[in-house]
Formats: sequence, structure tokens, C-alpha cells
Amino acid sequence: MQRFNLYQEEYHPSPLINIWLEFRRSHIALAGFVLLVVFLVITLLAPLIAPFDPYLQNTNAILLPPAWEPNGTVAHLLGTDSLGRDIFSRLVYGCRTTFGSSLLIVAISVFIGVGLGALAGVLSGLRSSVVNHLLDSIMSIPTLLIAIVMVAILGTGLGNAMMAITLALIPQFVHQTRTFVRNELQKDYVLLDRLDGASSVRIFIHSILPGMVELIVVQATIALSIAIIDISALGFLNLAAQDPLIELGLSLSQGLEVAYVAPWLIILPGLCIFLMVLSVNVVGEGLRSALRTRLHH
Amino acid sequence: MKLFIRYLNLMVVTIFILLLFSFILPFLFPGDLLTNISGISPQSNEQRIALEQVYKLDQSIFHQFAFYIESLLDGNWGVSTSDQSNLLHELLLAFPATLELVAYALLIAVVIGIPVGFLSGLKNHNPLDFSVVTFSIVGYSFPVVWLALIFITIFCLQFQWLPISGRIDLLFDVPTETGFILIDIARSGISNKADAYLDALHHLILPTASVAIVTTALFIRFTRRSIMDVMEKDYIIAAKSRGFTQRQIFFKHGLKNALLPILPLLVLQISTLITNVMIIETIFSWPGIGRWLIQAIYQQDYPAIRIGMLVVSLCVMALTITIEFITRAMNPARERAESATV
Repeated sequence: MQRFNLYQEEYHPSPLINIWLEFRRSHIALAGFVLLVVFLVITLLAPLIAPFDPYLQNTNAILLPPAWEPNGTVAHLLGTDSLGRDIFSRLVYGCRTTFGSSLLIVAISVFIGVGLGALAGVLSGLRSSVVNHLLDSIMSIPTLLIAIVMVAILGTGLGNAMMAITLALIPQFVHQTRTFVRNELQKDYVLLDRLDGASSVRIFIHSILPGMVELIVVQATIALSIAIIDISALGFLNLAAQDPLIELGLSLSQGLEVAYVAPWLIILPGLCIFLMVLSVNVVGEGLRSALRTRLHH
Repeated sequence: MKLFIRYLNLMVVTIFILLLFSFILPFLFPGDLLTNISGISPQSNEQRIALEQVYKLDQSIFHQFAFYIESLLDGNWGVSTSDQSNLLHELLLAFPATLELVAYALLIAVVIGIPVGFLSGLKNHNPLDFSVVTFSIVGYSFPVVWLALIFITIFCLQFQWLPISGRIDLLFDVPTETGFILIDIARSGISNKADAYLDALHHLILPTASVAIVTTALFIRFTRRSIMDVMEKDYIIAAKSRGFTQRQIFFKHGLKNALLPILPLLVLQISTLITNVMIIETIFSWPGIGRWLIQAIYQQDYPAIRIGMLVVSLCVMALTITIEFITRAMNPARERAESATV
């Protein structure tokens, strides 16, 4: 067949668009993505969304049930807590702390993890074996244990808890990067670079890293869901965020004190955490299968 | 054999590092070093000097480390700051309780999770597979804390079917021997054993279920992924073309090849499992090591934290390395780097 115009006839989507097209085909994944965007917007624009000051105590409306209950009012959409503070506003701010700090944790652990992983991948022999096995060992220590030791040394606080979770998350990135780098280093295109005189650092940044981004993103979604669950669990145990700060896990433990009269105080924050983790996992799963289909073709 | 030596070496090195780390911990904890190590706050100067001599604080750091190892081996694990109780004794009470929860949750996850994962992976993209995947994603998205609280609100507060806290009703006078409640009941001399079993099981249901749901969901996901990958391999297609039935192919080739690469992944989940169990313990007042450690944090009981951390991490580590060794030994052709992706 003759072709006059080589380029306008066929559409070649870039890898990124390819993934998006594949990802879009699953409606559930798309719904998860929308939910994730909603949480992201809440995180960024919390003060604009919250109808009340989350610390404002309205003593005329204590333990008000959500609006759909007989006693609820529309003014306080999700009711109020034992000090008359608006739950919806508190949830918005809580999402901000939980989601925001989890994002930060993941960003830091990706940065450190990939760097260390590249190093471990380039190293060989005894040194690499020591690094690898040591990391595998750290990976198997339960997160809560690391957090407990961290809190014992530095005291409670959101920052310290975040540090502990970061420490627990780093090894998986190292592991993955190392394996990937190890495999890629044996391929011909890297050899070509090396013959051109590229240094190890240059090879990693310009040749290997671009091919690895997708893998890291998928791994990061897993890490993000773990981070959210862990930070809220630590908040619940009073080891992370402390009182004036509003955090979903902490709200959960505060709601526990009045759980008999106001069950929505433990249901709503928990539901927020659950939806957050669910959206991250659904998006992660969608990305993974999109990536898989693309690699198959 | 070479492999065995390598893993033994790894084990020894890791244990040494953990010991070293737990030795350094009291220096990092806030407060008086002597109290952090011994658990006793000295009342007078003489007592302080005497204690320092006992713990060799007046000698070099190497002597201190040697003394620490020695006393660990002697079973002299120090006392707690808060109530001067013997830590070894406390741990022997708390650790089996945790182990019990972990074991049951793991049992459920293996017995239910792995077969269901295989089933849905083999029949992928039909309604059954779809519902299993949905359950799995929802399951591992649950924050354990919230799941437990929901269970408590529904089953304990609303319907009052199940007890909220503890391992067994205090009316049953079961002496602690092994620390495993079900074994202890069998070995105790109480008259109404059937009732005691029923009661203990009632106490077990909620904590085990809360932990097991999340773990099972994760196991399903890993197994499903793995078997789907394996079934696409060339040797499976070859077997199919030779006329083997689906059943033969699965049991001869699929099962083993799918299970081996995910074994290390499943073992890694044990650390998540233990974190979850520790959280669940505090919610259900289960007298295990998680609750014990968190109490220790609240009371700033540093000797307890140090020993608890050492024991838990040693156990997890030993388990991980052993299973890794077994996987490796069973399948020497497999390179480390080849272990399955999630």
C-alpha cells in the first residue's frame, strides 16, 4: 500500500498517554482516580473547603448527629463532637494532615530509596551483598516496632512518627531499584553508553532512570497506602500527632471516648481513612494492569 | 552446603547487629543511663556506685557489651522501671499471647487466602474472580484499627454477642503454663473445660478476624497474580498442547512454580501482620507483647522497650531468613533478583 503522508495517518501515543488510555478503560480505576484527586484537592485547599474553624467550640450544639438523623441540622453537615466542634471541618483538616504527611513520607522515601538502590545496584561483590542483606533484614522489622523505638528516643510527635515510617518504607524502594539496575546494567544499551565513556552516575540518570519511573510510581502507590494506614494507626495509639493537631487516627481515638452516645464520631474518620487507602489501592492496581498490558504488546 | 553457610553467616551477622543496636539503645534514650539499663533509679550515692559496678559502667564499653550479652544468655534480662517486675517473666507471659493471635490469623490467611487466590487466578475475568478481587482490594484497604472498632460497635455494643476485651472470662481460673490459652485450658484441671473453650473462642473471634481479613486479602492478591503469570508461561502451553488436563497442569506445574516466588513476599507480610496484631492487642486489651510495649512507651519504661524490641525483631528476622533459605534451597536455579514482583 502506498502512503503519501507518513505521519498523519497513524497515531502513535507516547508511553505515558498509552498508559492513561489503558488506565481509562477500567471504570473502577477511574473512579478511584477521581476520589484520589478529591482527597488531593482537600489536602491543598482545606481552609477554603471547611465551613467552620475546626477549633471553634459551639457549646450550643454539642454531640449533634449528622444532618440525615432526626436531630441533625444542615449547618453542621456531619454533626459535632463532644466540644461542639464541626465534624466536617475537622475531617477536612484531618484528611489534610494524614494525606499530606503520607505524601511527604513517600516522596522522601522514594528519593532516598532510589538513590541507595542505585548505589547498591552498581556495587558488586561483598559490599553489595552486605548492603542487600542488611536492607532485607530491616524490611522485616515491623513498622510499629521501629516507631516505638523512635518515639522512645525522640518523644512523641507527628514528625518523629513520619521519620519512623519513612525508615520502614525506604528498603522496598532500595530493593526494587537495585534489582532493576542490576538487570539493566547487563543490557546492550548500557554497554553502548559505557563505550561512549559515560560515568555510572550518568548512565543511571539518563539511561536507566527514565525506564524505571513507572515501576517506582506503582511501588509508590503501595507505599502511600501503607503510609496512610501506619500514620493513622500511630495517631490512634497517641504516638504520632498530638492533640491540637487534627489527624484522622487521632480523631478516631478521641471519638472512642464518646462512642456509646455518638458512634458517628468513630465511623466517619475511619471511613475517611478507608476511602483514602481504597482510592490509592484502586489507582495503584489500575496503573499496574495498564502497565502490564502495555508491556505485553 | 555453601548456601547454608552463607545464610548462617547472614543470620549471625544480623543477630549481632540487633544485639549491638539494643545495647546502644539505653545511651540514646532520654534520662539517666543507669536507670535506662538497670530499671532501678538509685536512691543514694552508694547505691549508684554499687549499681554502676554491677553493670560495669565504670569499665570500658567493650566490657559493658560483654556483660550485656552474658546477662542476656544467663536469662537475667533486667527489671522494668515502672514496677520492678522481672522482664523475662513478663515476656514469657506476653509473647505466647501474641504468637497465638499471629498463628491463628496466619492459619486463616493460608488456608483461605492461598486456595481462593489460585481459584480466582485460574478462572480470571469471570464473576467469581471479579468478586474475589473486589474483596481483596477492599480487604487490604481496611485500616485495622477502624475494622476492629466497627466490629466492636456491631458485635459487642449493638448486639452484645461477643466480649470486648481479654482472652477469657476471669471466672475461669486457668493457670498460665504455656501462655497459649487453648493449650492452657487443656492442661488445667478445671471442671468445666467445654465452657472455658467456648468462652476463650468467643474472645478470640474478633481480634483474629480483624487481623485475618487484611492478611487474607493480601495473600489472595499475591497468589492470584502469581498463578496468572505462571499460567501464561511457555511450559504450561507446551503441557496443554500435549493434552494434559487443566487439573494435571495445575498440580504438576502451576502450583509449585506459582508458590515458590511468592513465599518470600508472604513472609514479608508477617511483619505487617505483627504490626497489625500489636495494634489489635491494644484495642482488645489482649495481654500480648504489643500492648505490653505500648504500655511501656506510655510509662517510659526503657528497659522493657529495649528487651521487647530485641525479642520481637530477633524472632521476625530469624523466621524471615530461615524461610528465605528454604526457598532458596528448594529451588537453587532461581536467582535472588528473580523473586516475584507484586
